[in-house]
Amino acid sequence: MTASMLDAAHGPKKTRKPLQLIFYKVTLALYRLFAIVTLYAVLVGILAYAFVMGFYAVSTSWAAPVILSAYDEKSLDFMQKLVISRQSIEDLKVDVIRQQTTLQEMDKYRASLLALDNELQTAIASEQNHDRLTGPQLAQLDEQKQADNRKTQEVLAQVHRIEAQIESDLAAGLITKGDAATQLAALNRANTDYTDSRIADVMLSDSVLDKTTVGTKSLEVLEKQAELRSDIAQLDVTLSVAQKQLREDNRQIDRLHDAIAIAKQSPYYLNASGGKRLYFAFVPYDNQANAVVGAPIYDCYLNMAFCRKVGTVKQVFLGEQVVNHPIFKNQVRGLTILMDLSHPESAKSQTVFLGRKPLLF
Amino acid sequence: MFVAPILLWLIMVLCLVISVVKYLMGLILRISFPSAKISKDYTWQPTVSVLLPCYNEGETVYYSIESIGKCNYPSDRFEVIAQDDCSVDDSYEWMLKAQRDFTNISIRVGRNDFNCGKARTVCNALQHSSAEIIISIDSDCIFHPDAIRELTACFAEPGIGSVGGRVGVSNPNDNVITAIQTIVYFAAFELYKIPENLTRSVCCISGCLFAIRRELLLEIEPTLRARHWFGIPVNQGEDRFLTHQTLMRGYGTYINNDALCWTAVPTKLSVLFNQQLRWRSSILRDLFYTLRSLPAHVFKLHPNTIFTMVLTPLGAIVALLMVIAMLSTNPLAWAGPEPLVVYLGIAAALSWAIKKFSVRETIQHPLAFGAYIAWSVASSLFITPLALLTFDSGDWGTRAKAPEEAPIDRVNA
Repeated sequence: MTASMLDAAHGPKKTRKPLQLIFYKVTLALYRLFAIVTLYAVLVGILAYAFVMGFYAVSTSWAAPVILSAYDEKSLDFMQKLVISRQSIEDLKVDVIRQQTTLQEMDKYRASLLALDNELQTAIASEQNHDRLTGPQLAQLDEQKQADNRKTQEVLAQVHRIEAQIESDLAAGLITKGDAATQLAALNRANTDYTDSRIADVMLSDSVLDKTTVGTKSLEVLEKQAELRSDIAQLDVTLSVAQKQLREDNRQIDRLHDAIAIAKQSPYYLNASGGKRLYFAFVPYDNQANAVVGAPIYDCYLNMAFCRKVGTVKQVFLGEQVVNHPIFKNQVRGLTILMDLSHPESAKSQTVFLGRKPLLF
Repeated sequence: MFVAPILLWLIMVLCLVISVVKYLMGLILRISFPSAKISKDYTWQPTVSVLLPCYNEGETVYYSIESIGKCNYPSDRFEVIAQDDCSVDDSYEWMLKAQRDFTNISIRVGRNDFNCGKARTVCNALQHSSAEIIISIDSDCIFHPDAIRELTACFAEPGIGSVGGRVGVSNPNDNVITAIQTIVYFAAFELYKIPENLTRSVCCISGCLFAIRRELLLEIEPTLRARHWFGIPVNQGEDRFLTHQTLMRGYGTYINNDALCWTAVPTKLSVLFNQQLRWRSSILRDLFYTLRSLPAHVFKLHPNTIFTMVLTPLGAIVALLMVIAMLSTNPLAWAGPEPLVVYLGIAAALSWAIKKFSVRETIQHPLAFGAYIAWSVASSLFITPLALLTFDSGDWGTRAKAPEEAPIDRVNA
């Protein structure tokens, strides 16, 4: 750009001051310098960006270090779950003990009920045998008693006639009033005895009935027996359920123990429980082949070049992790490794490389 | 610390809201607001000079003049002043041939003494004109016979200073690039600029078809000639500059979509890139000019105009930052299905509208608009910074070839 062209901007009548010209020239020079530097920086930036994108699109050895702290959300969540699991085990153990005690008590109770049932059964059988023996005898006696009563009744019919004779003898003055009273009292005793004999007969009939048929008392005893057996059956069911619950609780305890044992292999547990600082890294499944115990780990400048060995793979955790790709930021599935780092600051790098240097230097 | 991101988001949201609102308003106004259209008076037929600045157009300029010759405006009321800016091809010969062939109209052909850019070529052509209305056109456009009549009829409204026409795409189906531009052109003219029409404050009338009152252009001409950037003459964006100056002088601006012209849009990405770079550069220049004299704008212009003048270019800058942020935080975000679905939805709707309302521009493969995602990312990422860093460039853009350096005493000849 010449001075004449600079002047062109202001039209024919304007003359430019030298100071202004210098200002324009300096400003333009600075602007162009800035523009050139910026544009080249942008160009380099774009090329570098494209290279980084392409590099990470094809690289199969990168891993993304993850610094876990005890206060890390996942660690805290993990520990919380672990504590809850352990608490569950303790609760289950208490439940198991309680259930075992209850089961023992129930067993004892069931045994006593069974014993009572046996005794009751024996008593019923004994009583039935006795009834079978005495019932017919008592029935025979009852018949005999009834025959006696019939005879007594016939005799009492004659007594009524005697009573009338006494009344007429007294009226005729054949006997004294005292003799008459004595005779009448004797007749009355005879009537009373007859009545007592009838009552005894009725009671005897009841006894015969009890011994020869199934009466209400027997039914009551049988009902008691049925209740007793029902109690035993219910107890059996309760026992069965309790035993199943006990078995299930025991299995649950075993499962929780297994889960805790597996969880103890998790990086979060190791991170949260150990006092020593541990270094982890996320490895996408595409790069899993390089994640083997003992494989060297390289940390590079600019995320890909001038690499140095900074440690080895110490442990591989097979549990799946889903994290954002360090470059593309999309979600990537993979696993976690524990790094044994000789240069702990490499844990802060965006990426490290497993097995080999990514660009041969 | 948090102010910058909040400010960026605020600008972004405002740009988005205003853009969406403007497109929606355009649609509503088109359908239900007759006063958005200017009242035309076809009986008033002022004298017209059609200025045709030309640089390296070759044979195209001949057909452009031919199409002007077919205008149904009284031939004794208009003339064509074709001014060549020292084309390095045979453009000048084609202009002379047109002068010889189309004797039904008055054609003056001139040539600059040296290459000085489009804006100054227009000014040079203006020197030969004495008409009441000046129409500046692009030398690669083909004009509808009604174009001049439609443009002049709008000047019946006294406050109108400049009137533009609707630029259609003559090659919509050449390839994906032209299909995308067809949709963008259609949306811009048929929707986006309608709310600006309502307030008679169109912010940029296309240089393809730009009519202005003579006295107003004469008033602006010294400023137009004097445009410079730290001493370097500014030759780009004279259409936006003229529109802006029209508004700042208290006149109204309007785009009459019935005044049609057709242009062949770039078919190559590199040409499109250069064109967009030139446009973006003029938009950003205009932003700085607006910001520099913001108080004057606030007092003189409609709020709608100020918002458009400030937020549209700011949106481009913020879009650049957003794309950089996106690429550094989530590079694959733009590759998801959501943007594609949105763009394809827009393409489907606009393609239908184009087919219904502008049959000549009907797009055969509207789904090509999906590629606009990639273009918008590339455009935001490259064009804005390049435009910001090449303010010292002042060539003819897409038609540029190495210009000759001119002595100062000839620039304003």
